[in-house]
Amino acid sequence: MDDDLPTDFQVIVVGTGMVESIVAAACSRIGKNVLHLDSSDHYGGLWASYNFDGLQKFIKEVNSDPKRQLQVYNLAEKWYIEKESAQDEKKEEGEEKPEEAKPEPGKKVWSQANFTAEYRKFNIDMTPKLLFSRGPLVELLISSNIARYAEFRCVTRVLTWLSDKLMPVPCSRADVFATEAVGIVEKRQLMKMLTSIVGYNEEEMNNEFKDWNDKTFKEYLAHKGLTPNLIHYVLYAIAGGTDTMPCLEGVKECKKFLMSLGRYGNTPFLWPMYGSGELPQCFCRLCAVFGGVYCLNRPIDKVQTLTVDEGKEVVTIESKSKTLKCDHLVIGINECPKDLISPEPAESSDISKAVFITNGSIMKSDKEPLTLLRFPPLNDGDHSVTVLEVGPATGSCPKGLFVVYFITNKVKDAESDLMGIAEKIFDMSGGDQTEETDKPKCLWSLFYNVKDTSAPVKSTTGAVHVCSGPDAGLDFDRAVEQAEQIFKKICPGEEFLPRAPDPEEIVFEDDVTHGPEFTRDQDDDDAPKE
Amino acid sequence: MHGRVKVRTTEEERARKEKERQEKLKVYKHAMQKIFHKREEGELDKELLELTGKVLSSNPDIYTLWNIRREILIIFQKNDDNEELSQLYDAELHLTEYCLKINPKSYCAWHQREWVLTTRADPNWEKELALCNTYLKLDERNFHTWDYRRFVVRQFKPSLKDEFDYTTEKLMDNFSNYSAWHYRSKLLVELYPDLEGGRPIEDSHHKHELKMVQSAAFTDPDDTSAWFYQRWVLGAVRTDIDVAVFVVSPLKTTIAFSRPVNQAFVASKTRLFFGNELVNGEWQSLTGPQYDVLWVLKHNAEITEGLDVKMEYDREDENIQIIPTTKYNSNTYIGKGEINFEKKYSKPVVEELNNQLEACRQLLAMEPDNKWTLLTTTVFLHCIDAKQYHKETIENLHTLKSIDNLRAGYYDDLITKWSIEEQLIEDYKKDSLDFKIMFEDKVSSLPHLQYYSHCENVDLSNQNLTSNILPALELLQNCKKLSLENNQLTTLKGFPNLNLEELNLKGNSDLVEEVELFKERCNYSVIF
Repeated sequence: MDDDLPTDFQVIVVGTGMVESIVAAACSRIGKNVLHLDSSDHYGGLWASYNFDGLQKFIKEVNSDPKRQLQVYNLAEKWYIEKESAQDEKKEEGEEKPEEAKPEPGKKVWSQANFTAEYRKFNIDMTPKLLFSRGPLVELLISSNIARYAEFRCVTRVLTWLSDKLMPVPCSRADVFATEAVGIVEKRQLMKMLTSIVGYNEEEMNNEFKDWNDKTFKEYLAHKGLTPNLIHYVLYAIAGGTDTMPCLEGVKECKKFLMSLGRYGNTPFLWPMYGSGELPQCFCRLCAVFGGVYCLNRPIDKVQTLTVDEGKEVVTIESKSKTLKCDHLVIGINECPKDLISPEPAESSDISKAVFITNGSIMKSDKEPLTLLRFPPLNDGDHSVTVLEVGPATGSCPKGLFVVYFITNKVKDAESDLMGIAEKIFDMSGGDQTEETDKPKCLWSLFYNVKDTSAPVKSTTGAVHVCSGPDAGLDFDRAVEQAEQIFKKICPGEEFLPRAPDPEEIVFEDDVTHGPEFTRDQDDDDAPKE
Repeated sequence: MHGRVKVRTTEEERARKEKERQEKLKVYKHAMQKIFHKREEGELDKELLELTGKVLSSNPDIYTLWNIRREILIIFQKNDDNEELSQLYDAELHLTEYCLKINPKSYCAWHQREWVLTTRADPNWEKELALCNTYLKLDERNFHTWDYRRFVVRQFKPSLKDEFDYTTEKLMDNFSNYSAWHYRSKLLVELYPDLEGGRPIEDSHHKHELKMVQSAAFTDPDDTSAWFYQRWVLGAVRTDIDVAVFVVSPLKTTIAFSRPVNQAFVASKTRLFFGNELVNGEWQSLTGPQYDVLWVLKHNAEITEGLDVKMEYDREDENIQIIPTTKYNSNTYIGKGEINFEKKYSKPVVEELNNQLEACRQLLAMEPDNKWTLLTTTVFLHCIDAKQYHKETIENLHTLKSIDNLRAGYYDDLITKWSIEEQLIEDYKKDSLDFKIMFEDKVSSLPHLQYYSHCENVDLSNQNLTSNILPALELLQNCKKLSLENNQLTTLKGFPNLNLEELNLKGNSDLVEEVELFKERCNYSVIF
């Protein structure tokens, strides 16, 4: 296929995942000549958000292509509602019991056809993640001025599973004040623990924890006299840990959580509007603004590295019978030919994920909630499960529905790893959607496993930089960190994503020779200017 | 470097800003000049409104300009065109709103707004309340807005319950908010007065507030707003004005009250009888202020041996208290009231206080050196049963002095006050005209001194009194022998005019020079 795509670039980036996109933006921002390719017709790769139709396509593609199942497998999609709107049946039922059958206003009866019709209102994430309000990604978005391409919503609450029910976690000062779930002495204990963890400087930290290196965080909390209730909140919900979490890691996680409080909302987290898949696109946009060239739907066939004079390496890429050349190739792990990776990455445990679409929130609330639920391990040896529930206000689904994501480390397979928890917080029985239940009805579900490609990998040559895939963690921090490392290798000594100017700060080239200054007529100068 | 984005350097940017600033200054000076010129010429017209408006919208705190605007608006008020006037007022509100966005704490902009709303005939109070909500959303601690809100609420009279709930909502967001707590206290007494017991707040709400503020206090003990509110809630009990002591002697007739009262109060509530004879006369305050704790009755009735002197006092609970007297030497008759410093909480509130005390004690066991926990424990102890817990409260205050040394003086004053209250109970049981500090802690202040206004022999030796307390000694109207030996007096300035026989100033070495002069002026013996 002939096209007028130039063939020589300083940097070629293959794949539009998070790490790749940040590197592309950073290179383009400081003046590198960047080409950014993706083999599929959309941005994000495994970090993408799909509308309902796109998701169906994705499921179909993966199921029919064994090669893709190396990354994503065990896909199990299930409907819990009728194909077509059951209006006719409804009417019949209605004759039998005219009172109850009437859906109360606002409680719509959904059918599969409704989902298909409203497919554009869904934005379902393959890699749902949150941003810590003072985490590296938020700081980067602000310092680079990329934040203006994105919108966020505050996570409104953090929940946990305690004594067989969902409980809000008092994490901020206002929460601790308002909660009735902990006693007055516990309030003091909790606040004291939280403020001391935030307040420790390095020296105090070393001092306080010098004997805790080989002990667990749980032991530390118990040692500090926290009640079992409080240990639960701090360990599972705030630190996101398990019983075996090492003490120092727990302290670090707590600190990260607490440091992000009070910046934007009542919890430490932000959720990107229209899904996490928006974020790689923001970086791509900056890349394009600074001259990066984009080409989607462009698979690559072959990658070769040549050593030209003075040991300088050039990477050539065959793509659609064209040969592209660059000094540096940045490539997503899933696109990367095996022979470029060295050594072979160690086998890692994979990730179990699930998406549910429900007809209500897992815990009722006055305003539409945006929830992080950290589900502690149900049995010894299990992993904890991260649950994110997002509603229509985030642009994730039509009104009346919620999208809920489950993420955990794989033990057996996604469905067996996660079904037990789903059954605790959802009504998985299908049936009458108008029925008053204390749990929301699950209308649709998708379980799947993802290969964990988040461990950094080295390539065989210094001119090729391999980007990791998404991890099972809550935030994007590792992706940001890795992108910066790759950038520093490509452009040593250059600033990583300096602030992009606002439009009004830009001086246009043609504008350099100024015309005569506009001056006000002195005599006319009697009205004050605002 | 083609196609590259070029950005102004910081140097260029600074130059641009400086130029803008100069431009602004020129425009400002010019406008101000023109405004004052027009005003001098008496041209109070719409043009001047516009000019002042423009300057104010970037400098909202030039109150002179707001005054000029009011002058103009007052002239327009005389016109008959109501619609035009209404439009002018609307524009004025719009301007203040704009200015408040620039400086939300502009006194004059808030004041102008208040003026417009009280001046115009058609104020829209609902809109004002909505404005308060908006501004408090932007800054929940702006006391200007809270102040303005109370003004609006006074006029608009919305549901006080809604206002109360609003304070709850704001406190739930952030309880470090003096204004919200304060407003809450004002609303509580209006919304939930205790109709039966005559207390300021009805029991269940009293309890609820105690719980709420405790939650705040334990969530963040370093936040003082919660503690201040807690003190208010604990103090929110009815305290009646009592007669402390009255003295009828050939020299003078004095009466001391537990709290300052005015002349009308004394004249209407007290009646002095010699036998069945009502004594007529004029009550004068001791030192002259409108409210005073000690009053003197000027009367012409003769004081003789064997009189039956008594006083009738109309108490605030509407009972009449008859206070008999005991005769002391030389035709001096003294009647004492009841000592009642204890706060009268209802039973449910006392229960709640005991619960909270228990929680405090638990915390204290965990962190014995926490200042706020210890202070609160101490206040609870004092409030629940001052007599029973006296020893413990004083010990706690001593601990507080060492762990919170910056406020040692405050704790000293509390020790003095609570100890005097304890001593008074015993002293009032005795028929004695002596007053001597009986507890170990040295006093540096003299609270409740009017209770000892009948004493003839006052021994304040070996204390930490400084010259600051001298004016207060005027309360010792019947004192004959006063000892200030071994204190820290540095001057005798402010020493009141007392009919003493003997004054002991020994051991106040700083007084050497002054004492000789002082001796010449007074007609009693001064020991030095």
